[in-house]
Amino acid sequence: MTRYIIRRIISVIPTLIGVTFVIFMFQRLIPGDPAIAMLGEHATDESIERIREQLGLNRPLFLDRDALADGDMNAFFDSQYINYMGRLSRLDLGDSIHRRIPVLETLKLRFPATVELSLLSIIIAVMIGVPVGILSASRRNSLIDSVSMVASLVGVSMPIFWLGLMEIMLFAVILKWLPAGARLSTGFEIEGITNLYLIDSLITGNWAGFKDSLSHIIMPAVALATIPMGIIARMTRSSMLDVLQEDYIRTARAKGLGGRLVLYRHALKNAALPVVTIIGLQAGTLLAGAVLTETIFSWPGIGRWVYDAILGRDYPIVQGGTLLIALIFVGVNLIVDILYAMLDPRIRYK
Amino acid sequence: MAQINPEEFTVTDFAVREHRSLWGDAWRRLISSNTARLGMFIVVLFVFSATFSHYFWEYEPKKDLDYSLKLKAPNLVVTEEIPSIHPFGTDKLGRDIFRRVVHGGWNSLRVGIVAVGISLFFGGIIGLLTGFYETFTMTTIERIVLFGITGLLFGMLSSWIANQIIQLVMFTILGLAAGIFVEFLPSKMQRALFFGVFGMAVSGIPALFVGPTVALICGILGLMSGLMLSLALDGRFFSNVMMRIMDMILSFPGYLLAIAIVAFLGPGLGKGMIAIGVVGIPVYARLTRSAVLSVVNKEYILAAQSVGESHGRIIFRHITPNILSPIIVQTTMGLANAILSAAALGFLGLGAIPPEPEWGAMLGDSYRYLTSGAWWAVLYPGLAIMLSVLGFNLLGDGLRDALDPKLRT
Amino acid sequence: MTPLLEIKNLKTRFYTQDGVVRAVNDVSYTMDSGEILGVVGESGCGKSVHALSMMQLIPDPPGKITNGEVWLDGQDLLTLSEEQMQKVRGRDIAMIFQDPMTSLNPVYTVGYQIVEALLLHNDMTKSEAKDRAGELLELVGIPGAKDRLDDYPHQFSGGMRQRAMIAMGLSCEPKLLIADEPTTALDVTIQAQIIDLVKKLQDELSMSIMWITHDLGVVAELAHNINVMYAGSIIETGKIRNIYKDTKHPYTIGLLGSLPRLDDAPGTELVSIPGLPPDLLALPEGCPFAARCEYRIEQCLVETPPLEEIDGKDHAVACWRWEEIAGIGSK
Repeated sequence: MTRYIIRRIISVIPTLIGVTFVIFMFQRLIPGDPAIAMLGEHATDESIERIREQLGLNRPLFLDRDALADGDMNAFFDSQYINYMGRLSRLDLGDSIHRRIPVLETLKLRFPATVELSLLSIIIAVMIGVPVGILSASRRNSLIDSVSMVASLVGVSMPIFWLGLMEIMLFAVILKWLPAGARLSTGFEIEGITNLYLIDSLITGNWAGFKDSLSHIIMPAVALATIPMGIIARMTRSSMLDVLQEDYIRTARAKGLGGRLVLYRHALKNAALPVVTIIGLQAGTLLAGAVLTETIFSWPGIGRWVYDAILGRDYPIVQGGTLLIALIFVGVNLIVDILYAMLDPRIRYK
Repeated sequence: MAQINPEEFTVTDFAVREHRSLWGDAWRRLISSNTARLGMFIVVLFVFSATFSHYFWEYEPKKDLDYSLKLKAPNLVVTEEIPSIHPFGTDKLGRDIFRRVVHGGWNSLRVGIVAVGISLFFGGIIGLLTGFYETFTMTTIERIVLFGITGLLFGMLSSWIANQIIQLVMFTILGLAAGIFVEFLPSKMQRALFFGVFGMAVSGIPALFVGPTVALICGILGLMSGLMLSLALDGRFFSNVMMRIMDMILSFPGYLLAIAIVAFLGPGLGKGMIAIGVVGIPVYARLTRSAVLSVVNKEYILAAQSVGESHGRIIFRHITPNILSPIIVQTTMGLANAILSAAALGFLGLGAIPPEPEWGAMLGDSYRYLTSGAWWAVLYPGLAIMLSVLGFNLLGDGLRDALDPKLRT
Repeated sequence: MTPLLEIKNLKTRFYTQDGVVRAVNDVSYTMDSGEILGVVGESGCGKSVHALSMMQLIPDPPGKITNGEVWLDGQDLLTLSEEQMQKVRGRDIAMIFQDPMTSLNPVYTVGYQIVEALLLHNDMTKSEAKDRAGELLELVGIPGAKDRLDDYPHQFSGGMRQRAMIAMGLSCEPKLLIADEPTTALDVTIQAQIIDLVKKLQDELSMSIMWITHDLGVVAELAHNINVMYAGSIIETGKIRNIYKDTKHPYTIGLLGSLPRLDDAPGTELVSIPGLPPDLLALPEGCPFAARCEYRIEQCLVETPPLEEIDGKDHAVACWRWEEIAGIGSK
């Protein structure tokens, strides 16, 4: 088992290296000069040059060929990409071009917001999606089955941003039950231990803070959960249906096991495998930040942050943020693979 | 023992069932499903209204502007105040939302078709080739092409460093040679030695004209490239590399990649289509590849090979028709996804350039006015997105059930 | 002596999109305690379906047992509710299936699956059950039984998996063991081992066994009595000696005739029965075998022949012309 885990981790490394390269390339290719973006259109050429030199933007991208021709090996390797990789290995993500704050700092502030939202959404999605899927599978072609399958298709087809807006319209504007945005109402303070407000407020016994952060998080979480919920429900159903056709289910019944035990003990464990994969993928997607939801609900997460940086040509943020997102994605996939091996003994003995 | 002569009718009378084709069967199943019928209805309605309105209902978005009608609620009868009918109300610039929603369908349809077309075409070819060459050995010509391209890529590297064209050319030739003369020198060591030295020379010597250190670097590069070329690269290697690249693209969440591409290419609906299309390529590549792999081991492929059919023929006549089912399903769902993604991009202001009517952009324009009560500007475009996406999803779902080989009698 | 099992007029139908499949048509027979019954026929003749029907394991929809009584130990199984049936399954009747790889749950150890059966029907503790499971595995001839309890099905070879399935089937000491083509998916050498094992077990435990197969050779070694089925009905039944030495039904004759024999002269052609089995969606009137039968007459196409006794229970056949047909015995 451990050997399998190690092998999987190793196979991720080339992908990660490729990912850092792609990230680097990409926003270098985006037209637009961050120096000009910072200083404005009418800045003088000298000040632009100065800023560019400060930011290291005047070094060549990969290798300094002219330096090579001159025989200067040091300058040959002094390039943007190599400097970037060097800093990465020291976990130095640089400073935001526009705000001059270290990227790592902002990341530490904004990432927990995304984590909290994603976790809650996935939990909602799983707690509703999986039971619905099992129920549908066990009562195939009944009314419950048709209704829930259509409902999940509707969930999958729903544009999140629209659902979010509808929620705001109903609950914030018309009914005035819930606030329309942000993580906390003004005037509330929650001690930041994990920076996950729901958990922190519970730990510190801050009941009012808990209620307030809950009221803020519930709408975006539900909106974000609809698509994964639909996907999970459908996947659970189809996986269960496949498993219920298998011979070993017939054997279990022939032994005298009752419907419920057969379903939950024999069928579910086998059906869980593809479902776990899907849950993991969805969690990964959510963790990577949901730009749209964050925009509508003014949620301070990394999705919107990276998006703004891409458009604002703020390279360090784009690099740092995208790297984090890609890392999360790859990491979640790795965890899913390992979970898979834990659930299915056939895989780990290969 | 009394022997009776068999009667008039033949023995096989009882045994044969009516012949039914795969597609006919699938169509029957599709039609009989309620949800699939609903999906088909919505899709047909969508396509019809989009095309019809584009060609027959005039609309010039740039000229559409009437501040006097700004943000009016839906009205079905003409009043003094509002001289025209607006079933869906008007938006912040006084434009009739109903008309824009209907015309927006055309844009969404186009995006869907182009984006999915790109993903399907490139992803499909990649998947087909990787799946195929993972199991089949390459013919000499195919191998020559592969080596040639590899040589070209290596050559590009040296050329760029030394700023000379000659390495590019020489390496391509070297690659082609490596492909042609695979049996050239029997022992691996000899081959490695030969190509390595040759590579070093070809790359380093011309670079001497530029400078000694350049020559050194190029020489080293040449040596490594030559060594690599001397390995017997084969289909499996190529497929591995290809899938790794796909994996790398897949390690980015779709939306991020799409935004980045659009940021790179600039705004506009066409660029948005390309972005969504490119993001989808690895999905189709993976799907096609796994479909190919599952078909390739079947007996009829073996049979075709043993009869001596060429690779091209096998791919087109045998493999492709048998992998159509999952691809059709994915394409339909992919259309749904593309429409959603286009709307998302539009909402963020990337994608369609105002004042082009696009559902996501319409939402992006109007959501600010939600708190002041203009619900119609947000409800209707969103509803349009949801319904069209739902239609394609229902249809795709129905197709999946109808084409499911396990359900075949 | 009252028979262990008595089946009366069993009919099972499948209601599908394409029509009604008449899978089991009016099947009646009895089995005694300690008897080994071979149920023989080609694919689709209803042999598996009738066994599943007995245990109420037919998926409903689309299947339905439309008629019949299945008397086991003073109870008509078909009148039992699902809960009552669960008590019968595994304990009074056990069934083992054809493909041991897919018939065992891949994510649980073999030991777990046997223990599960034991705990379900017996009042034991977990460790008692585990010990018993180990004994059972030894009984069926798996080396190193105790250790193998913690292995997963994919770690067993084909033959051993089938042995494990047999162990599971025997675990609660059922009165009747139904074996549905247990050796079809196995190599011939393994097949022989399994047959020997079953013979030995039957000797030791004096169980009743119903062995379902399409392979006449297999069943010849094992069975006391044979039911030959065709298109959902029993067309010939009786003691094994009678079936093989005094075959009466044209189908059985054809079946036996198609087996190659060691004492055939070289160059002898294999005899095959012309035509194909009938479509169960559209069973013709009269005898199901009529279309392929070289002895058929008008009556065969119109009226279905009932099972007529030739020699009491020891030999019965469903054919209008059985008296005219001299039994084909071994050459």
